[in-house]
Amino acid sequence: MSDPYGYGAGGPAPDAPPPPPWAPAPPPPPYSPHPPAEEWQRLDRRLLVISPLQVLRGFAVPIVFSLIGIGTQAGAWTLLLIPVSLVAAAVFGAIPWLTTSYRRTATQLELRTGWLNRKRLTAPLDRVRSVDLTASLIHRVLGVTKVEIGTGVDDERITLEAVGVADARRLQRELLDRARPGTPGVGPDVVPGQPLEGSPAAAADGGPAEEQLAVMSWSWLRFAPLNVTQMVVVLAACAGGFQFVDDLPFADIDHAQSAYEWVVGQVIVLVVAVALALAAVLWLVIALVGYVLQWSGFRLVRLRPANRPEETSLQLRAGLLTTRSTTVEERRVRGVELTEQALMRLARGGELATLATGVDEGTATVLPPCPADVAVAVGHDVLEAGSTTPLRMPLVAHGGAARRRAHVRWQRMPVVLTLVALGLTLGFDGPWWPPVLVAVLLGAFGVVGAEQSYRHLGHELTHRPDGTPWHLVVGSGGYNRVRTVLETDGVIGWVVRQSFFQRRLGLATLVATTAAGSESVDVRDVPLPEALRLADAATPGLLTPFRTH
Amino acid sequence: MTSGEIVQPVPVALREPAHQVSPRAVTYWRVGAGITAAVVTVPLVVVALVWSDRPWWFLVPAALVVLLLLGWTAIMPSFRYRVHRWEVTDDAVHTRSGWLSIDERIAPLSRVQTVDSSQGPLQRAFGLRSLTVTTASAAGPITIECLDVGTAQHLVADLTAITGASQDDAT
Repeated sequence: MSDPYGYGAGGPAPDAPPPPPWAPAPPPPPYSPHPPAEEWQRLDRRLLVISPLQVLRGFAVPIVFSLIGIGTQAGAWTLLLIPVSLVAAAVFGAIPWLTTSYRRTATQLELRTGWLNRKRLTAPLDRVRSVDLTASLIHRVLGVTKVEIGTGVDDERITLEAVGVADARRLQRELLDRARPGTPGVGPDVVPGQPLEGSPAAAADGGPAEEQLAVMSWSWLRFAPLNVTQMVVVLAACAGGFQFVDDLPFADIDHAQSAYEWVVGQVIVLVVAVALALAAVLWLVIALVGYVLQWSGFRLVRLRPANRPEETSLQLRAGLLTTRSTTVEERRVRGVELTEQALMRLARGGELATLATGVDEGTATVLPPCPADVAVAVGHDVLEAGSTTPLRMPLVAHGGAARRRAHVRWQRMPVVLTLVALGLTLGFDGPWWPPVLVAVLLGAFGVVGAEQSYRHLGHELTHRPDGTPWHLVVGSGGYNRVRTVLETDGVIGWVVRQSFFQRRLGLATLVATTAAGSESVDVRDVPLPEALRLADAATPGLLTPFRTH
Repeated sequence: MTSGEIVQPVPVALREPAHQVSPRAVTYWRVGAGITAAVVTVPLVVVALVWSDRPWWFLVPAALVVLLLLGWTAIMPSFRYRVHRWEVTDDAVHTRSGWLSIDERIAPLSRVQTVDSSQGPLQRAFGLRSLTVTTASAAGPITIECLDVGTAQHLVADLTAITGASQDDAT
């Protein structure tokens, strides 16, 4: 089926199949601009299975240990503890279902939660910015999904732990449709009971049309092992494991005979070599499995409501065991960021994130590690950049002073570490070569890093066809190359920051503050007049009252 | 990926924001810095007096720290007073702050979300008040430190009136 998600190309579907048997029976009343306030309703009953399992999972380790501990001392009566803990889990697990209820009124979504400490969360419907569905394996087996509703400023999200898949889909679509101000009363008549995935279903009446932006290709798996950030995490875990080497008897060299010492030396070399090889294989497996788990079935689409075609949203779906679907209105998307990590860059790979306002993480990854060309194309598509190519255009360089500062910055760490090595050599009367080696290697690393960093540094401004400023384009990064593109409409204000040394060089760091992404975009070490010119050009009029002429 | 050096920058320069903060701020900053210096210096002096078998080099870093703090107390407040300036027009707010590192901040009033004012105990003693204007960006709060209390109250009222008039959610 070319359309497994059931949205179709818009318009009424002639032959909608009957809803599957597990769908809720009564279809909701037709959409009207001011429907009556709905009754308070509980979360799906299947939560009564999910939360006890989560409670058990959370306490699994202590329970097992205490069972073992007690079991070795006392008799078989301790087996009674098993049903007791199961009952306790069921009781505690029932609390969320018993104490949580929600309702949707004409203007807002309300959530009541808590038992002794009652809490009430309210989200005005016109503030709803994202509705995300996440389903863990347990959720999926039971046919429910978690719904997270993001509103207003980034902090609080309303989370419905378990909602039937069909209800969740309906809620997602209705909330996103109503989130738009001035909505005319011609919303979609939603057909309930659309399956989450896999089985075909007809497009809902007036439902949004889907426009596919990207879909995963298995050849992208080649980028999985090149993700340095993930590699660091795994390396740290391995380093923790290597501490056990200290406890091994052959590592205790001090008490060994010298002949034995030689043998042990060989063994250690062998052990290290084998460990490295194992680590490489392990890393490959972890990276590939992680990539498949996270990104399997990845699909990025643009939803275009039939009745309001200009109010589009981006929807990402992915995940092998835990499926997640993330939807963001495109008017919330203020820009994109392309990151090409050092190793990925060698393989011409990249990652793309959107800078959006009002989502949990302002910077949301929308593509798995993939060919940079794909990331650039999708990025331009998301930006609707037309004939401009902000992700690939040449940037205005920041000049020699910025380059010198980059070199100074990159040599700080090598100088400190060289001094430390020198201190150790002098203090403990060690060999002469380690400080030299540290100085040469780290110094070279710093020189290359600084040159790379200067090459990536830069800024530019693109313009709409009518000549108004469009996107602020900023290049940054050291060994990694980062290109940030922010709509100038998304710029809230400016900070011109000059450290003592920057002032002596006539440089400044220009910070565009924004509600999107990580809240600010830094243009580092740009000559001060150029910084002011850029700010003035990007937000015409804002600086005018404060200019000298 | 760069297109070469900047050839000819179009001259855009910012003038200083129009107003200085309250002159009492200098004394306030100096007292604050003096307190910090005292909090560090007194224990160092006590240690130097009480600890009889201290290493010979102990006095060198200690004296250095104390001298730096005293120098900071002496020169920072007047530097800071010369740097700190602010201006609010009908459309935007512009501030300059810092002393060694200098920040200039500009935000349009149409994007302002909240106007807060605050007064610490020491500020109260000097009749000073700080004013913070926040926008939808966590990176963008603008603080005007150490205004005269009367000026601060007027400014809060003005800013609240201006920003209350704007409708959208300012993101």
